[in-house]
Amino acid sequence: MAAEQAAARKRDRRILFMMIAVFLVVVVAGGIAFQAWRTSRAPSAAPSAAVSASPVTLTDGHPIPLGSAEAPVTITLYEDFHCPHCADFEQQFGPIITKAQEAGTARVELYPMAFIDEGSLTAANAMACAAEAGFGQAYYLGLFANHTLQWSDPQLIDLAAKVAGAPSEAFRTCVMRRAHADWVTSVNAAADTNGVDQTPTMLINGKNVDIATLTAESLQTMISNAAEK
Amino acid sequence: MSSTIVTEPRLAAAASWVSTGARLVLGAVFVVAGGLKVIDPQSSVTAVRAYRLLPASVATIVGWGLPFAEIALGILLIAGVATRVAAAASAVLLIVFMAALASAAARGLSIDCGCFGGGGDVAPGQTAYGIEIVRDVGLLLLAAWLVWHPSSRLALDRFMSAEPQAGKSSEHF
Repeated sequence: MAAEQAAARKRDRRILFMMIAVFLVVVVAGGIAFQAWRTSRAPSAAPSAAVSASPVTLTDGHPIPLGSAEAPVTITLYEDFHCPHCADFEQQFGPIITKAQEAGTARVELYPMAFIDEGSLTAANAMACAAEAGFGQAYYLGLFANHTLQWSDPQLIDLAAKVAGAPSEAFRTCVMRRAHADWVTSVNAAADTNGVDQTPTMLINGKNVDIATLTAESLQTMISNAAEK
Repeated sequence: MSSTIVTEPRLAAAASWVSTGARLVLGAVFVVAGGLKVIDPQSSVTAVRAYRLLPASVATIVGWGLPFAEIALGILLIAGVATRVAAAASAVLLIVFMAALASAAARGLSIDCGCFGGGGDVAPGQTAYGIEIVRDVGLLLLAAWLVWHPSSRLALDRFMSAEPQAGKSSEHF
């Protein structure tokens, strides 16, 4: 009797062991599949951008200007579209900067960096394509609003459709051919020359801003002060 | 069940409660650490890549899967299911984490460990390898305690592995 009970218990334990192993495998495999789906799904619509969107001409080693050329304040941003801290930065401070751009107080000079992964490069290249096509600002917001995506070509083209309507053939080609890959390289080299060693890095009228201690209020004050000078 | 607890020496009873605490702390840390990483798969992959130890495709799988493994381990520990096995797996994981951190430090990389989300490259002055390794050592001690003394109160293990005939409180795997 006791032997039977012991055998039953042993069997129970073996079954339990297997159940735990199956649980672990299912959770991890399911998790990987879930994340694969999340990073490869279609982008969602981005917050709207009312910043004037005139097409931009790209120059090697020079950033993408976003906003009015007459704006008194220049906000220089070094960001990688796949850098987690850049996404945090954008979530926290992006709306303030966008508002200053819309008010004509500030314009952004964007250095899209590409050092994290393949998606950083494809996104930076597409960002350049979008600026050239005249919807850079909306595209910029869309890239950060969907920063968890891996940024395959279809995703990048889909995002353009979401933020600016059906993209032109030129834009598609620009994205798929990585037309501005050399420009991205030149901008990254320029950042290196400028002594930028981390993203995000922000300068207001050429002065480096300590992002670690930045608050929404202090950023607002810095922009206002810079506008008055 | 209750009779075995009453006959347990006081020290053993205290040790069981210590194990309960270790289980809950270690489990909660794993669930939180995994949960914070699951939210943002892209930064989780970035954090793994920053160690520059794995090829890109493997880093992606690890970045996606590891947080779920942490959560699953954390749930086992909190529930007190297969405590010894879960604790041993935690210990292995923590040792891997420490080895990766130590190698990053030794190679002069400037990265955030990405232990609780975030991660990736940071400015040279902003590394915190010392604190990160000390934290892992603390957690490793908890895991080691649990491997040595997996029997704990408020654990599902108690319902599955009690030895009614022997004086021993429980049998563990």
